[in-house]
Amino acid sequence: MKIQYKIVILFVILVLLFLAFGRALLKDKTYQPTEMVGKKVPNIILNDFNNKNKKISLVNLTNNNFVVINIWSSWCIPCKEENYFLLKIKKNSKINILGINYKDQHTNALKFLKDFGNPFNLIASDTLGEASIQLGAYGVPETFVVKNGIIVAKFLGPINEEITDTILNLSK
Amino acid sequence: MAGSIANFLLSVSLILSISLIFLLTIKINKKNFENLSVIYLCSDGIFYLLFISFILLVYSFIVSDFSNLVVYQNSHTTKPLFYKISGSWANHEGSMVLFILILSFYLFIFTKKKIDPELKCFTIIFQLILIFIFLVFLIFTSNPFTKILPTPVQGLGLNPILQDPLLAIHPPFLYFGYVGFSIVFSFVLAALMTKKLNSFWSREAHFFILLAWSFLTIGIGLGSFWAYYELGWGGYWFWDPVENASLMPWLAATALLHSNIVTQKKNLLYSWTALLSIFTFILSLLGTFLVRSGVLNSVHAFANDPFRGLYILITIFLIIFGSLTIFLLKNPSYQRKNNSFFFQKDNFILINNCFLIFFLSVVLVGTVYPIILNAINGESISIGPIYYNSIIKPFLFVFIFIMAYGPFLEWNKNSNNSFIKNLLILFIISLIFSLIFLFLLNNKNISLTLGILFSFYLFLTVIYDAFREKKLSINLSRILAHLGFATVIFAIFINGYFAKEINLSMKVGDKKQLENFLIEFKNTKSIKGPNYDQITANFLVTDGNKKVELTPSIRKYNQPAQFTSETSIKSNFINDYYFAINLSQFNDNKISLRFYYKPLMQCLWLGVILIACGGIFGLFKKKYENTI
Repeated sequence: MKIQYKIVILFVILVLLFLAFGRALLKDKTYQPTEMVGKKVPNIILNDFNNKNKKISLVNLTNNNFVVINIWSSWCIPCKEENYFLLKIKKNSKINILGINYKDQHTNALKFLKDFGNPFNLIASDTLGEASIQLGAYGVPETFVVKNGIIVAKFLGPINEEITDTILNLSK
Repeated sequence: MAGSIANFLLSVSLILSISLIFLLTIKINKKNFENLSVIYLCSDGIFYLLFISFILLVYSFIVSDFSNLVVYQNSHTTKPLFYKISGSWANHEGSMVLFILILSFYLFIFTKKKIDPELKCFTIIFQLILIFIFLVFLIFTSNPFTKILPTPVQGLGLNPILQDPLLAIHPPFLYFGYVGFSIVFSFVLAALMTKKLNSFWSREAHFFILLAWSFLTIGIGLGSFWAYYELGWGGYWFWDPVENASLMPWLAATALLHSNIVTQKKNLLYSWTALLSIFTFILSLLGTFLVRSGVLNSVHAFANDPFRGLYILITIFLIIFGSLTIFLLKNPSYQRKNNSFFFQKDNFILINNCFLIFFLSVVLVGTVYPIILNAINGESISIGPIYYNSIIKPFLFVFIFIMAYGPFLEWNKNSNNSFIKNLLILFIISLIFSLIFLFLLNNKNISLTLGILFSFYLFLTVIYDAFREKKLSINLSRILAHLGFATVIFAIFINGYFAKEINLSMKVGDKKQLENFLIEFKNTKSIKGPNYDQITANFLVTDGNKKVELTPSIRKYNQPAQFTSETSIKSNFINDYYFAINLSQFNDNKISLRFYYKPLMQCLWLGVILIACGGIFGLFKKKYENTI
């Protein structure tokens, strides 16, 4: 075989590999640790956001219930974006949404809810971020879907139209 | 201030490298090789400039200069000094500085060698091109001296999982290994260009191959050791793409190391050695790409910006295409001398080279295939240990057999029969040994039997090799490395079949009898560390008449606020007892944890050290003594 052909073949193979890797690279692929999916909700007790003396137990709350748990924070920009979809879920269904306010200041969080609307039926605060770690969360925003005490789905990053539909379907 | 100086120095070295490339090209065109000392001085200058920039970066970390973005993102005032220093390369930008510094370091050593000026100039050009490419990447996409205004009062801190003494030295070792192959790469391209790929080249290259290979071996060993005791999963090798990324260049380099000896001794395999030199470096770059670009998810993926990844990808593409084109165009064609016998050392080395390339391909496919599949049709698959073990294991036995046999053969004649008889006796001894051993352990697994048989056989032949002729000092390098390999394989097999994992949930005062172990949870203790709070649990494990106290703990780091589970490992050389607390499940006053019983782990680490020692001893040999 002539060397020119070999070089052309080499070039073609490399271009193909390049395209495949380039595509893999640019593809939006957030790390999806599915560690907790399919497991029971951990026994976490949280403080109520509005009333410091009140406690919220995740196990009691989610037992025999369909609950969407959303971890959010006022300093998190994607949370603003996803708030619209959470409001949409609240409007179109009777799903209970628990918001876990992650490493946030109370006043900022209140302002956030005032500015963008409050989609949550119940809000818990996780000032130190410990509870969210136990839940298997990696950051904000993250959304967990819990059915009868079992985590059935987990979404990393802001939820969108597609995820909203998935959640609505899961609740049926 | 330090940032502006360092930025300036980086720019100067960028300009210096590009002008040197031009200057050298002109010199080569005119075949004028006078006044080269100025050029050597300038290329040394690049090393010094980069070294000072690196020191300035470390300095910014030590004084916690948070006006520097990288320092702000990765450091914190409460962090111990040691981790402030190691923090400077435990992030994408800093590690790139280290990467380039090492590129120039190898150039620095190379210019000190007495080599034909044309060959030397070409090598310097290629190495400078590499330095230039990565400097552009550093300065324009991941500048480590970016300022932020206003200056924050406090930094975000270093990921606690990276705050570990071993992990502080693991990246430099790995980089000295990866990057070390750059000089071999530049050197081989230069030899191809100047048609000076000969046994002289091979002797000079041997030093660099061996140096980089030793560093890489230590780097991989450290990474594996870190994973074993810090991650708390009880394993030392997970066939994780990131680990594979470092194993692939190691396999290629091991093949190169051996084929280069054949080139040196017998003037054979030139194209093969050249190709391996190119591929070893390409695989190192591929490793960097896989690990750094974020195409894989791991603790190593610092570059979350896909455009950085794209830049590295384009760079690798150009380097692969350029180097392989040079290879195809300038490939030396040598006639193989027709006086060879089958039972000859070079044939055996070649066979094992093929095996190494086969192992390499298995790892490459396992690592890259899921990425490509995901890119093409969005399907995610995960390739686990079963794939690697089942494909590699059967061939490993043959590989070891040839590895045991090869050193006894001669370079130029059919081998001496007396050795064959002795090797047969050794094989029978190891067969008997492995059967007795398995009988005592009461295990009838075939692959375990073969694993013990062959690793023990290799072990015996290496010992025999060491004492058969009084040439220990010459062969010491090979003997240590092969002995280490036998130890590693033996430990892997024993560990693979006898390790135990027990999941527990206990509260203080509990006593549990599980398998042969009596586990007692005695008490807990709170400790305050320099930048974390820690709760330690005290356990007493009774295994037969051995009593071991273990103290796994949970740490809560304050910056960034993150929990880590600190394992507790006690070893009596033969067995490791290993405890790790599960982070995710706290129940009232019960804690859930994992207990591992890992035999022969110390042996495994010893084996890795022996292999690395083999490489290091090889460095001190005189050139005419090179042998394997």
